[in-house]
Amino acid sequence: MSIALADEIRIDSESDIVVARKLVRDTATSLGFGLTDVTRIVTAASELTRNIYIYAGSGIMRCRPVASDARRGVELVFEDKGPGIADISKAMTPGYTTSRGMGMGLPGSKRLMDEMDLKSAVGQGTTVVVRKWLHK
Amino acid sequence: MTAENISVISLRNLLLVTVPPDPDDETISALQQKILESMARHDARGLVLDISTVQTLDSFFARTVMETVQMVALMGGRTVLAGMRADVAVTATQLGLSIGATQTALDVDRAFDLLQGEIQGGRTA
Repeated sequence: MSIALADEIRIDSESDIVVARKLVRDTATSLGFGLTDVTRIVTAASELTRNIYIYAGSGIMRCRPVASDARRGVELVFEDKGPGIADISKAMTPGYTTSRGMGMGLPGSKRLMDEMDLKSAVGQGTTVVVRKWLHK
Repeated sequence: MTAENISVISLRNLLLVTVPPDPDDETISALQQKILESMARHDARGLVLDISTVQTLDSFFARTVMETVQMVALMGGRTVLAGMRADVAVTATQLGLSIGATQTALDVDRAFDLLQGEIQGGRTA
């Protein structure tokens, strides 16, 4: 994959979720994604930044264009040093939540994006990487 | 975006609330509070929630909307969600959101027709 500079946003408060959404919207739009894909990507970013805020209290989101073979797309990285996820397969089950949420943030975001990688260690934190490719 | 920017319009016995395009969580919670206060103050029978400018309907937003519909119902009012954009509808469905039995309409005009018909129908029945 090519190296591109990533825009980075600190997630410390609820209002940072709006800032993250705006960055992702602008990036995805400028890359040429259509309206429905932009909405999918922004909605996934909203879910995953809220997870950082709810579960870890703070963290960062990075957003950058990516290219692989003939494909171009956008990559979003969500990183926190929060409590981590004890059971990833449970966390990926729709409806399962350890907060007051609806339990659709992770499984829903995976459906909205093309790829999702999730790494988590209890007591150390969680990193979620999602990608969406442009379809030509 | 602040809570003061939320407009609640009372028309006959219905409320029209326009949801801002990209509200933060605080604004969404304030919106709910304002709707419930206005239901009581205006003795409203129904609520039209205009979401035609909403760009992102994530699970927090959706849960608050569904809670609001439920609370308005407990206060004797009916809610119609009006004007959801096609891209938002596609995304909300793929995300896994469900609106339950909440009524919807393509736009505010149709939402008003729906509510007025129901409320008048309810009176004569």
